[in-house]
Amino acid sequence: MAVGTLALTACGGGTESGEGGEAAGGSELNLVSPGTLTVCSDIPYEPFEYEENGEYVGFDMDLMREIATGLDLEFTVQDVGFDGLQSGAVLAAGQCDVGASAVTITPEREENLTFADPYYDSLQSLLVPADSDVATLEDLAGESVGVQQGTTGEQYARDNVPADTEVVAFPSDAELYAALQAGNVAAILQDLPVNLNHTQEGEYTIAAEFETDEQYGFAFPKEGSEALVEAVNSQLGELRDSGTYDEIYNTYFEEQ
Amino acid sequence: MKPTTRKRLFRGVLYAIFVIAVAVVVLLADWEAIRTSFFDLEVAAEAFPEIITIAAKNTILYTAIAFVGGMIGGLILALMKLSPVGPYRWLATAYIELFRGLPALLVIFGFAFAVPIAFQWRPPGGSAGAGLIALILVASAYIAETIRAGIEAVPKGQVEAARSLGMRPSWTMVSVVLPQAFRIITPPLTNELVILIKDTSLLFIAGMALGDRELTTFARDLTSSQANPTPLVLAALMYLVITLPLTQLVAKLERHNKRGR
Repeated sequence: MAVGTLALTACGGGTESGEGGEAAGGSELNLVSPGTLTVCSDIPYEPFEYEENGEYVGFDMDLMREIATGLDLEFTVQDVGFDGLQSGAVLAAGQCDVGASAVTITPEREENLTFADPYYDSLQSLLVPADSDVATLEDLAGESVGVQQGTTGEQYARDNVPADTEVVAFPSDAELYAALQAGNVAAILQDLPVNLNHTQEGEYTIAAEFETDEQYGFAFPKEGSEALVEAVNSQLGELRDSGTYDEIYNTYFEEQ
Repeated sequence: MKPTTRKRLFRGVLYAIFVIAVAVVVLLADWEAIRTSFFDLEVAAEAFPEIITIAAKNTILYTAIAFVGGMIGGLILALMKLSPVGPYRWLATAYIELFRGLPALLVIFGFAFAVPIAFQWRPPGGSAGAGLIALILVASAYIAETIRAGIEAVPKGQVEAARSLGMRPSWTMVSVVLPQAFRIITPPLTNELVILIKDTSLLFIAGMALGDRELTTFARDLTSSQANPTPLVLAALMYLVITLPLTQLVAKLERHNKRGR
């Protein structure tokens, strides 16, 4: 409610520091703060969003930064909880223009969010200690498996593990990985790229990968985001055509 | 201007500020958006009965365990802190400073993840068990200081009178000092209890199985599966349903105590 009055007073100034004095699309894109693309993300979630040398990087972040540059906008990131983001609350509250947080496009989420074109095909995977003999979901019978709260991976686990497997939900990958190290869970079921990050030391391996037909999309508020969605879609198309998309993709998802 | 007039004017201004503030909130809020986001009845219906049979039940259970454990630990620590034996005092002081100085979230994290890695020992009761042990340790530190203050607030004359009647020091503590101390510290202990009720929501960081979830975790889960924040509002109401009768009860108890003197 105070935001409304603030926005009114802020519009009077008209002192955006756009490149060369023209904030391209600042007004008709209906941005939270004019001249800036404000991105909400649940950080860290390597390799999609994490902090390195004082700035946010990762597949989502690099793409978003390119998109902002292409639209001639400044780029800022806010770290928010995933719950608020994927339920639409954060965006509906006008905290950000867009959610870029490895969000899988689902029908339920589309009721409260508008998604841009899919930008990533997701695989689920099972991470286990290197010396574990768990190779399939069936092997988890009588064991516990860690998942991330509110994710499609959690849903996949609940739908597919044996009846006597305990599915334990954690707030984020940091706690998941700590729980696996502590031996509190026998395996982690979540997005493949995140699990891949944990295999670099050689202590853990990917036991199985699961095709889920899932795709990630950048999320926008239902109301008043039409112009921005269109602009982001055209930017995504350009990034794919120019090869920049592949460049960024290979930075984060090439086999190590 | 007469003092009475000034007083009346001042009052009028205060009322006006209040009325304007209420009007601003009512006029500026987007009630339709609030209703669809936070009061979606279909989504709310999904929450029942589990929000009571699982979530509220666990919140109350966890609070009870942490509070009883914290009372026992706190009493021991308070007596250690008042002990004539140096090392006991130092140990209790160090413990209280440590666990009062750390966020409960970090202590829970430590017990759930760091302790098993460091000692190859897993606390009983899975994630919830580890989290509860951490909560008990934190609650003990706070409650210890409250109890110590209560003991020191009991007039010296009480102890002297008891001792001159030939009571042993330990019996004096149990039958004369502690009952009076607890009467004095009923309000701050209630505070501890209410804080604990809300701190159980931090247990989620240790990881939760479906049947272990308390109100906040349950509501966050449902918020993500329904893709609508209504369950969070429900959980907030449930917390109030738990805390309000409790604080009323304690207020009643206090009035009773005052009369009893």
